[in-house]
Amino acid sequence: MQHEITHGPSFAMLCVDLEPGESVLAESGAMVARDSSVGMSVQLNGRRVSGFFGKLKSFVIAVLRKLVGGETMFVSRFAAGTSRGRVWLAPRMSGMLSHREMKGESLIVSTGAYVASTGDIDLRVRWGGFRGAMAREGLFFLEISGTGNVWFNSYGAIETIDVKGSYLVDTGHIVGYEGNLTFTIRSAGGGVVGFLASGEGLVCEFQGQGRVYIQSRNITSLASWLSASLPG
Amino acid sequence: MKINILYRPAHTMAQIWLAPNESIVAEAGAMVGMSTNLALQTQTGGLLKGLKRLFAGETLFRNTFTAEGGNGELLLAHALCGDMAALELTPPGYFLASSAFIASSPHVEIETRGGGLRGFFSGAGMFVLKATSQAAGQIVVGGFGGIVEMACDGNLVIDTGHLVAWDAALQYKVGRSGSGWIASLFSGEGLVCHFSGKGRVWVQTRNSGAYGSALGRVLPARVS
Repeated sequence: MQHEITHGPSFAMLCVDLEPGESVLAESGAMVARDSSVGMSVQLNGRRVSGFFGKLKSFVIAVLRKLVGGETMFVSRFAAGTSRGRVWLAPRMSGMLSHREMKGESLIVSTGAYVASTGDIDLRVRWGGFRGAMAREGLFFLEISGTGNVWFNSYGAIETIDVKGSYLVDTGHIVGYEGNLTFTIRSAGGGVVGFLASGEGLVCEFQGQGRVYIQSRNITSLASWLSASLPG
Repeated sequence: MKINILYRPAHTMAQIWLAPNESIVAEAGAMVGMSTNLALQTQTGGLLKGLKRLFAGETLFRNTFTAEGGNGELLLAHALCGDMAALELTPPGYFLASSAFIASSPHVEIETRGGGLRGFFSGAGMFVLKATSQAAGQIVVGGFGGIVEMACDGNLVIDTGHLVAWDAALQYKVGRSGSGWIASLFSGEGLVCHFSGKGRVWVQTRNSGAYGSALGRVLPARVS
């Protein structure tokens, strides 16, 4: 399988060349184009299981994801038949795409950041707890684990930060982080005055050794700027 | 006429050099700047045609810019962030998504065609434009995001929301993306264009409708 990301950082698009029999799983609606030899099928955005109760559980998980994670209930599988085939995928927002090869570790990303994956990748919705609610970044995260390729998107460009010890990131700029990192939410300026006056809102203080992916733009800031300039 | 596309791909601007007495037709509102010897003439090209364009999601009027008494320069831009491309007219011509048209040589015939009921449901608009010309000429198209030229060699399936333009020599059929209705309904892939034959297709890397709904989710509800 060959893959390439073009048109970054503003309007990144992913091109995947599938060998016969290979397939890629993508967020619903992400397809730009495909060779017609590449088949498309729809599956529930849950773990692949057999048996009636397994399927029922998978359905419930998919519904839950849709409701709480802002994700789609279904994902699309693009599979090459007996010949090679190509598929082009793009996210909805303007921004960059990032590729990561997973080797059994876990990666936590904000919901909506997932674009595509191959191999044996497991996606699980994780409750972000009170910290997530405070950070206004939503109550849920998506935990990606397993082995294979994964592609995720950002609003704006993606910067990779290798945390050694500790690092502060504005909560609205977090794309994802490696599962072995821990974090606490606090105000950037320290105290109530710092929180209100700095305009920096809340920050995540990451601790440990690992990688954090951040985005150069913040969708909440765009929304508040845009809604202030809309009529009515 | 010489066309230069500047500042690709995010915030492109088309720089057009006109020889004396040469003209170009542009979408209303596309003009950014021009040299003072360009004469501007607004036309509908017939009321019916203008209204048809309006229905197609375009502007009612188009402007003709003519260089008088010397060379002229015209700068044009698209409303959305994204790429532009200048295409040389070929005998079969091109089909354009109705929002993609920016400018054309004056003798290029731009015809509004009904995309049928399927086009209406596709989100790509009910209409497509067909650009044809007897003589050599150019058209300028604009997209949302980057524009990619894809070679169709036999068969290609493209999401209707990502189409910018395609060779009129290609056969196309708007249809479902998946094999079953259930799959199509839930895939979120909407409708796609099935292309066959040999030719080129220009695709945009973002779908303005999908972008709008993604952004709409975080905006406050409209108060009427």
